Amino acid sequence: MNCAECRDNLVACAEGWLNREEEQQCRAHWEACAACRTEFEAITRLQQRLIARGQTAAEARLVEAVMRRVRQEQFQPKKETIMSKLLKHRWGFGLSAAAGASAAILLTILLTTPKAQAKAVEVMTKGAQAVAKLTCIHLRGQLRTLPADNFSYINADSPFYTIELWKQFEPDLKWRIEKPERVIVMDGQSTVMLIKAGNNTGVKLPQRTTSAFDTEWLHRIANLSNTLSNELDNARTKGWPLNLAEETGADGRLKSVVTIQTKSGMPDNDYCKNTFMENADTRRVYRFDAQSQLLESVKIYLNRPSGEVQIFDLNQIDYNQPINPGVWKLELPADVSWAQLPEQLPILPDNEKYASMTAQQAARAFFEACSREDWNEAGKFMSPINDQLKEYLGGVEIVSLGEPFSSQNYPGQMVPYEIKLRAQEFNMRVANTNAAKRFVIMGVYDRKLRLQQDLKWSGEPEVLTNNDAYARLTPQEAVQAYMDAQSKFNWVEMRKFASEYDVKETKGQVAMAEKQGIDVHKMMPAFQVGEATWSAEQSAWFVKCRTISTQAKKWNIAVRKDNPAGRWQVDGGI
Amino acid sequence: MNLTDKEYVERCRDGHPEDFGLLVDRYQKPLFAYLAARVGNFPQTEEAAQESFVRAFLSLKLLRKPESFYAWLLGIAGRVAKEQFRSTVHHERDCEAAQFMIADTAADGGEEPPLEESIAALPETYRQVILLRYYEGLSCQEVAIRLAVPLGTVTKTLSRAYARLRQELAARERAGQTINTHQP
Repeated sequence: MNCAECRDNLVACAEGWLNREEEQQCRAHWEACAACRTEFEAITRLQQRLIARGQTAAEARLVEAVMRRVRQEQFQPKKETIMSKLLKHRWGFGLSAAAGASAAILLTILLTTPKAQAKAVEVMTKGAQAVAKLTCIHLRGQLRTLPADNFSYINADSPFYTIELWKQFEPDLKWRIEKPERVIVMDGQSTVMLIKAGNNTGVKLPQRTTSAFDTEWLHRIANLSNTLSNELDNARTKGWPLNLAEETGADGRLKSVVTIQTKSGMPDNDYCKNTFMENADTRRVYRFDAQSQLLESVKIYLNRPSGEVQIFDLNQIDYNQPINPGVWKLELPADVSWAQLPEQLPILPDNEKYASMTAQQAARAFFEACSREDWNEAGKFMSPINDQLKEYLGGVEIVSLGEPFSSQNYPGQMVPYEIKLRAQEFNMRVANTNAAKRFVIMGVYDRKLRLQQDLKWSGEPEVLTNNDAYARLTPQEAVQAYMDAQSKFNWVEMRKFASEYDVKETKGQVAMAEKQGIDVHKMMPAFQVGEATWSAEQSAWFVKCRTISTQAKKWNIAVRKDNPAGRWQVDGGI
Repeated sequence: MNLTDKEYVERCRDGHPEDFGLLVDRYQKPLFAYLAARVGNFPQTEEAAQESFVRAFLSLKLLRKPESFYAWLLGIAGRVAKEQFRSTVHHERDCEAAQFMIADTAADGGEEPPLEESIAALPETYRQVILLRYYEGLSCQEVAIRLAVPLGTVTKTLSRAYARLRQELAARERAGQTINTHQP
């Protein structure tokens, strides 16, 4: 054994890993080699030191005690808030003066100095620390959006709809996000989205996710410690203004209010600007309880050239409240059609024909396939093509297709289109099994009596002052009266037959169309109300309806080809 | 789950504060040994070690290099030990005790540089093997099982860790002072 071989084995020798023969060779070498012997002695000396140090610490058991203290520190209320200190120093009055008054909001001082900005940072940081031990969270708020549309879709002209998130961090990650007609559940194994508008459409990701289907913005609020530090990073790196104010809340407690002005960086004339959370110029207002330092509410305002509109109001945050396990189960209707994920899009035998199309050619090919009711061909551009879509687009006539255009943050293109839809037949389900005993509209069904839209009654129809007159109407007359009220935008009259939800949604769509410069009187198709039939199978009355005229529609279809097959896929705007 | 220090730190910051317990578990013994050489008796060492971990948790946001968590923790522990020493002297005015504690500060092998600071300077894979083998008292076979690696990998890593640790110790001895590990 030479010196190099010996030295390679010194640690092994000290640790006793060598077999007898190897050890003897080693010892024989260093008996004759002073340098290697010295090396071996140095290694055994270090080994002895390490062993001794380990023995010193053998009894150390700190985990439980440290974690107990960590939890105590996290939830210990601070005696004095940063804001109250600041106020005392700068204005000479303190917490007691502010808290003693009865007005709901007594004091709002906007601080815009660099020092105040630093304090805003501190409030956010403390807020993040206050929720450091978060095992689960429940958020409930209102968002101006469409009930079935994308989770990050916002529309300042739409009414508010409830949006809710449940998230469990420990012991394993689970979450659910829901608005009236769109829900996602991540049950720890997979992520499933159900879109409940018309025919039920499902999308399934076979894996667990921390966020999916454009819900990142809401998750950011739920992952508070992350959110607040992200907001601070953004404020710092992008130069977004950050302000701090102090208020006395309705509960008489002091609140620290941090406001951040965000900029999407998109030009004002971009098609997608202010239509999705991440594309919007906003003012975000985070309100913390100054004593517990917990975040209590978030309000988001959209900054439009025409003025500011509140689009999000998060007014309920439940920290570490047990979540009903039923929340992690998604009841799937029997008729759900599953959408294909873009990454699973098959390469067709004649894939090149589709991959080489322009966006406009793809839009034309799609509408033409719908016109011929060639659903196999239309399915190459969109998934899934469900019965409702077939009913809606079957026999469509293309009036014109415009030049495609793009948006800064969208990977596809928009193609302007004008189409004429053929007359459509559908059924209205009506019922008078209510306290007011009048026929009201329960839902919209297709010609084969399959549910298209549930009109969501949250309570019993009200007994009207002239209820008898309405109670005498036949199912057919009730539907006719409902249609008339809708076409005249007579919301009060419409409400006598329709749920609050239906009226609100119709009203919202009309308001949005008006804002977009559409002549709403032309938008509403004329209907012919047909006979009423009793369905024993469904124990309900159905009234046949038909659009009299063909309905024209002018809009932009969004298509994208960032998928492995490189084919244009319809992504929205139908 | 056997994550790196950096990953644990990031998880703690990302809404999983309970993961800090895993960092405590990983470093409680070397930290305790480090403080025992500076503080004195067992209860005081235990108190200083707890205090160091709690302070580390509360300032985790300020840690610029999460991969240097252990070196940073030792820096905090060094300050805690000094504070405890000052407070003991101040309250008890017991010069003898102070003398004893000063003498004990170098208790780890007389003039030799502190072992834990040198261990903190090792790459994480070397440090992990040294800590499991000597501070946790595991055999190499047990270390291999804990880290889910072949035994041969553990023995090779340990040999390299020895070489690196000796270099670190020699460098510190030459410098005649401990390298400042306080601000990674």
